[in-house]
Amino acid sequence: MYTSFSRELPYEATTSLAKIGEFELLVILAIVRAGDEPYANRVRRDLQDNADRRVTRGALYRTLSRLRDKGYVDWQMQPSEVPERGGHPMRRLKVTKAGLAAARASRAVLLDFFEGLGPLADRG
Amino acid sequence: MTVTPPQRAEQLLQRTLGPGGETCAILGDLAEDFAEVVERSGPRAAQRFYWWEAVLLSLSLKGQRALDGLVSSRDGETLETMMKSAFNLPAIVQDTRYALRGLRMEFRLYLFSMLIIGLGIGATTAVYSVMSPLMLRPLPFDEPGRLAWVANDGEGGLSAVTSRTSNLMDFRALNQSFEGLTGYMAFFEQGSYTLVGHGEPEKLVGVGVAQNFLDVLRVTPLVGRNFVDEEGVWGGRPAVILSHGFWQRRFASRRNIVGTAITLDSTSYEVVGVLPPSFDFAEIFQPSSRVDFLRPFPISEETDRRGNTLSMIGRLKPEATVASAQADLDRIIAGLQQDDPDRWGLGANVVGLQRQVSGPYRSAMWLLAAAAGAVMLIVCVNLSNLLLSKGPKRAKEMAVRSALGAPRHRLLRQLLIESLLLSLGGGVIGLGLAILITRAVAAADAISIPLLRTVSVDGSALVFSVAAALVTGLVIGIVPALQASTGNVAAAFGGSTRGASASRASNRLREALVVAEIALACVLLVLGGLLLKSFQQLLDVELGFQPRELVTWKINSARDFETLTELTAHSDQLIQNVLALPGVEAAGLTDDIPFGTNRSWTIRQPGMEGEEREMVGVFPHIIDSRYLQTMHIPLVAGRHFTVEDDESRDRVVIFNESAAGVLYPGEDPLGRQVEMFSGLATIVGVVADVRHLSLESEAGAEMYLPYSQAWNFSSLELVVRSSLPVDVLAPSVGAAIQRADPTIPITHYQSLTQVVDQSTSPRRFTLFLLSAFAATALLLAALGIYGVLSYSVTERTREIGIRMALGESAGSVLWRVISKTLVLASLGVVLGAVASFAVSRSVGSLLYGVEPTDPATFTLMAVVLLLVACLAGYFPALRASRTETVIALQAM
Repeated sequence: MYTSFSRELPYEATTSLAKIGEFELLVILAIVRAGDEPYANRVRRDLQDNADRRVTRGALYRTLSRLRDKGYVDWQMQPSEVPERGGHPMRRLKVTKAGLAAARASRAVLLDFFEGLGPLADRG
Repeated sequence: MTVTPPQRAEQLLQRTLGPGGETCAILGDLAEDFAEVVERSGPRAAQRFYWWEAVLLSLSLKGQRALDGLVSSRDGETLETMMKSAFNLPAIVQDTRYALRGLRMEFRLYLFSMLIIGLGIGATTAVYSVMSPLMLRPLPFDEPGRLAWVANDGEGGLSAVTSRTSNLMDFRALNQSFEGLTGYMAFFEQGSYTLVGHGEPEKLVGVGVAQNFLDVLRVTPLVGRNFVDEEGVWGGRPAVILSHGFWQRRFASRRNIVGTAITLDSTSYEVVGVLPPSFDFAEIFQPSSRVDFLRPFPISEETDRRGNTLSMIGRLKPEATVASAQADLDRIIAGLQQDDPDRWGLGANVVGLQRQVSGPYRSAMWLLAAAAGAVMLIVCVNLSNLLLSKGPKRAKEMAVRSALGAPRHRLLRQLLIESLLLSLGGGVIGLGLAILITRAVAAADAISIPLLRTVSVDGSALVFSVAAALVTGLVIGIVPALQASTGNVAAAFGGSTRGASASRASNRLREALVVAEIALACVLLVLGGLLLKSFQQLLDVELGFQPRELVTWKINSARDFETLTELTAHSDQLIQNVLALPGVEAAGLTDDIPFGTNRSWTIRQPGMEGEEREMVGVFPHIIDSRYLQTMHIPLVAGRHFTVEDDESRDRVVIFNESAAGVLYPGEDPLGRQVEMFSGLATIVGVVADVRHLSLESEAGAEMYLPYSQAWNFSSLELVVRSSLPVDVLAPSVGAAIQRADPTIPITHYQSLTQVVDQSTSPRRFTLFLLSAFAATALLLAALGIYGVLSYSVTERTREIGIRMALGESAGSVLWRVISKTLVLASLGVVLGAVASFAVSRSVGSLLYGVEPTDPATFTLMAVVLLLVACLAGYFPALRASRTETVIALQAM
């Protein structure tokens, strides 16, 4: 499953470089940001409104499944009282420890790479 | 009221996403958003939103899963990233150039493929174009979806499905579902008018319509105005609105004709308007006939006495549906019947107008669409096969590119662009073919299918063919592309040294495709065979009369006759003139020739009371004393009419055998009396049954009345029997008619064989197209077999060479290849027969006199397929058997 070179790098760096895409990172962060209401619809709205992205439902659901396969995100089914849901349960999303670590590593890599670029990084 | 998401869409999602909690959660998320859209944009928009999301979601989740299975995509390579890199423009241009180079190198092969694709796309586009005005495009009215057809609820001929004008009056007054109700006089073809003045007298066909007819349809005259009140009442001012075609033809589109008067028969009518070209009455309501003008048909007490005359059309209120209108009318009818238990002819059957117009042709159209689809499928299979056979060669090329670093999606794209180019080229050819076919169809006068004259390859057909080409390109390209783009270097090059067993799996696949092709061709052949057989059965039907050598003229005098005696004397003179002509064997008069419209009178045995007062509906024909002999309708008992049966004598009537059987079962009807609205009549003869309504329907109860005793006809047809060719006969008969009465137009005549042909024309049309499809399918299947075998022979040249070196005879090699053909073909035939068995039941309504499972047809088609398959396999087999051992071994 893993490419051969990933074994030679420290765990966190590998995961951030090879295993987490930009969109995946955004999804992880949006789940964390959602606070008390970590649900798919909320995450999607957050991404649409604040990350300036058109997020199709399919893309989000697929990314969630993929993140769970990677062990970065998990969820629990919980019954919902919201009448509009027509009795359907909700997925209460949760970012796992590994997920948080991957996000942090990703951030570190990004900061590292922006470091020292000075005005180049700040200009639009 | 709470609005819930569309259930079907939910089911779709449940099915595609599978069971489980996640699916439920997704449904919940969607439901939440759905509620929001309801709040914001209303329930309709929300329904659309939900469907859109559901379809998109199913495709995207399902599509990814399928892709994962097929491509074993790299980590993190999602549908999106693949799409993104797939639509990288400069790379696409590069790939296209590369593909074009490839096409040029194997030009003949690709031209051949394009022709095959063209055949498929041409067939489907043509069928789409024919279907489109009838079933897909809305009728040429404003908001056509709200137009409904209100028929009476009887069964049988036109009399049973038309209504009295009193029905229209009451429905108008009491209904709550229609914005407007109108109607036209359905028996308009029986009457005709002679235009005099303005040059040669000409026979015209006019339809009586209710005054609000154009208003309900929302048709505005191109020139002039609609009818006004003074024209729409009984005895009102005579007025006509001309059809666009007639106006162009006869009056050279002169606008100032409106406001002037034309003389029809001996009455002067004011031309008040001209219909727009978009509304051709006959095209929609009476295909294959012709309508020259509309005139008002009063909805009044007087017209009500004529019985069932009207075909009703209504415009539904925006909130009403066909079902609610039906319920509404049912309620009204129940009330009316209660108020007046003796009232007859009440009934209503509401259907959408579009459905009514296309109704009789729907199943045939769907059959053709399915057949065209099957041809297209065969085309795809064939092409897929062809591309697959190039697989091993391509695999090497792809392996090189893959080794040099091309990602798989890039290879895939390259191969797909090739097949897309191929199919677009085929699309261009197909479009040309479709244009040719539709031109031929639209110009065919002899086919009576509504709106056929408007058939053309239009914008939507263009879109359709391009879409068909693109889909074809993807379908034919995807399997070979996936196979070739594996980029497996070792396999591709390892294969080249050994050659032989390189692609056993790929051979299997190609053989399976050929079997599928043969199965599809088999289905088409069986269906075509069944239709052909029913058509033959239909042509062999015993009509009861002899249509050959009969020609008819509509005798429409502009003269007014005071008495019936005057009229019969006039017609007798005319017939004497015609009979005196050399070559004329017989001539007679009738008020309706076979396969025209019908009507129904009720009769009963006189003197019966109470329970036994049973009324019987009988189809009356008004004839002269020579008609039955002219038609060769055999007299079974009694006598024919004579010239003495006139107004001064007792009324007489001749029954057909069915009528005699209904009214006097098991008794001798001769000399008995029947009571009809015009009084008592004595049965003087019984004649054999005749198919009067259509070839398909058996004769019902019918009777013949002498025209010298019953003035209940609106026009007469002269029927002449002569062995002379029609174009020799026509001028002399025309001259004889005009010698008797110069006001009778003589330009319109037709042979009865023509009439019979026209009544079978929709069938002939379906049969013709389906046979063409079946033949194409057969040809393609043969090509498919040929391709696969000839490829496998080439591939195994070395093996065959060795076998022959070791002593296998040429005959044995030949036989081995042919037996392989037979195995493939038999498998296809068996599968095809099973499929045909299932499918043919659904075309039962199109068949006549043939069981959908007719064993003879099935067997014949299987034999044809096997023979063709053998022929297709023979050439590769021959080549194999002539393999030169030395050359084969040199190739090692």
